[in-house]
Amino acid sequence: MCWKLTRSVTSVERLWRTLAFRLTAGYALAGLILVILATAALYLLLVSELDKSTELFLGDKLNVLRTMLRERPDDQDALREEVELETAARRYEQFYIRLLDDRNKPLMTTPGMAEELDLSQLAQRTRGHPDVAIPMKGSHGQALRVATAAAPAGAPPTHTITIQIAIDVSQKEALLARFRLMSWVIMLGTLAIFPVVGYQIARQGIRPVEEMAATARRISSTHLGERILTEGYPFELASLAGTFNEMLDRLEDSFDRISKFSADIAHDLRTPVNNIRGEADVALARARTIDEYRDALESSLEEAVRLSDLIANLLFLARTESPLMHLRREQVDVADLLNGVQEYYEASAADGGISLSTRFADRPVIAELDRTLMQRAVGNLVSNAVAHTPSGGSVVLATSSESAVVRIEVADSGIGIPQEALPRVFDRFFRVDPSRSQASGGTGLGLAIVQGIMLLHGGKVEIVSQPGEGTRVVLSMPASAPPVTKV
Amino acid sequence: MRILVVDDEAKTARFLKKGLGESGFVVDVATNGLDGLQLAQDMDFDLVILDVMLPKLDGWQVLTRLRQSGRDTQVLLLTARDAIHERVKGFELGADDYLVKPFAFSELLARVRSLLRRTPSRPQDTIRMADLEIDLLRHRATRGGQRLDLTSKEFLLLSLLARRAGEVLSRTLIAEAVWDMNFDSDTNVVDVNVRRLRSKVDDPFSHKLIQTIRGAGYVLEADS
Repeated sequence: MCWKLTRSVTSVERLWRTLAFRLTAGYALAGLILVILATAALYLLLVSELDKSTELFLGDKLNVLRTMLRERPDDQDALREEVELETAARRYEQFYIRLLDDRNKPLMTTPGMAEELDLSQLAQRTRGHPDVAIPMKGSHGQALRVATAAAPAGAPPTHTITIQIAIDVSQKEALLARFRLMSWVIMLGTLAIFPVVGYQIARQGIRPVEEMAATARRISSTHLGERILTEGYPFELASLAGTFNEMLDRLEDSFDRISKFSADIAHDLRTPVNNIRGEADVALARARTIDEYRDALESSLEEAVRLSDLIANLLFLARTESPLMHLRREQVDVADLLNGVQEYYEASAADGGISLSTRFADRPVIAELDRTLMQRAVGNLVSNAVAHTPSGGSVVLATSSESAVVRIEVADSGIGIPQEALPRVFDRFFRVDPSRSQASGGTGLGLAIVQGIMLLHGGKVEIVSQPGEGTRVVLSMPASAPPVTKV
Repeated sequence: MRILVVDDEAKTARFLKKGLGESGFVVDVATNGLDGLQLAQDMDFDLVILDVMLPKLDGWQVLTRLRQSGRDTQVLLLTARDAIHERVKGFELGADDYLVKPFAFSELLARVRSLLRRTPSRPQDTIRMADLEIDLLRHRATRGGQRLDLTSKEFLLLSLLARRAGEVLSRTLIAEAVWDMNFDSDTNVVDVNVRRLRSKVDDPFSHKLIQTIRGAGYVLEADS
């Protein structure tokens, strides 16, 4: 029993999780409440209107009788007309009147009144409530409104006549009963129709979402090109589809980059390994002189070192992307740091006929940096600049600070970077000119490492270049470490 | 000097034994952690070169148990992982030095020598080698009585080579010691500087002192 109960609960819960069910339930409930309210309001209005018409009729009758009793108290014929004949002629909303004198002796009675209702009960019910219609059941169970009123007879009044009046409202009650029945029918109809219609509306609304889901299911790593058509959907869903497509664009782009990265990494690892293998193979193919063996070994060693460097760089890059990487920040005089880098590269620059100089602002630029990493970032930039600047050119290192932001700039008058290559220079293994940088020993990781280091410092790299005129790279970062936040 | 090499990679163990043997050390090899620990406890080694990834008992455990048994033999850890926390862990467990694979053999040799240098070498005022004389106090270098006109960095580079004469110094080590560049920069910068130094120290003389060891670095030697 208990098991069955939980099972049904979970199935309802599961149903409740579907959007179609929720929407349907919502529509049905709202519709039902609306119909109930409307019907109830109409019913109450009808009841009050019917009551009011009875009151008016009663008031009217009393008024006529009072006037007659006051003006012509002795005109028995007129009274009889009013009390006995007129009522007998009515079929709808029949009424009965009895007139009593001072000593409660009946003077005149509508014929049949005593059969229709209990007269003593009438007197009892209306005592103390003059002129007010009071509900009462007649002898056959019919609904009545009864009232008692005192009417002074003669002008000036000589005595008082009591008027007892009963109005048959059973037809009005019947009308109300029919109305109630009709209301129930309408409500049941609502209960049956609204969920069906609501479900249809919900299905219509949800269908585009399901189509999107179907498209999304088809998309996989080998099928990233698929997109959701945005036409023919309601505006909100079209915008969702658009957002979804943009996400897919970005995913596809990242995926392409990763695939390319894997291909590049394989290529860059394969080259030195191939050299080592080939060189050893050839060296061992026949007997050689000591010098030849030495040469083969030395060459292998060079390739091995190249491999180690590549691996170290890749590991470093991977670490810069890890949230666990910690910076060893210290107070660094940036001009000092740049001077150090300048000294290091000075000889290389001079060798290439390039002037390598520094330019500093008047006041010192102090920042909380990881000295080693920043040296590495700036070193990579200077190395690039020197490698791509022809003889006679210049490379300038500069730094400045402005409202807690430190800028380091490396500008050269070198060959520049083509506009279309600029967005990709930070990609791992991207080389503007593959043949050239391979020969010069570049790994194609330099700028990716610079960017990694800047991200670790909460800063960014910007690169501006004009082919033939030079390249300027600007590193900007906060001067102090952000407050430590535990994740 | 007796050194124990604990490494399960046969080739690594072989070249370490050969290289260290040729440098004048007596080398024993263990290929797993248990044997390594046993040997290190039973015999009196001056240094243990310990790989971290070992079968049966890993390097951390070997190191921990060795220290627990009261041995304070010097330990140089080798690992393929260079995460900083691993380095810190190594030192906390009582390692004396730490080297990340792949390493240059010359680098390992330098570390081994500096670990085994019982007494720190007395700071010298002058270094003499063949007809080269370096006055460390007055920052002056002469060769064959002729004053060498060196920049301050060139002087630092020459005195580094001279102080560690006979040792192959890697480009990375040179960049770090002379320019305080603590990263694997593109090392041909060091080549350019060595070439400039050579043009002043060696080029005018028939006897060359600075030797290039391809793929490894530079060494200053009186007799080549």
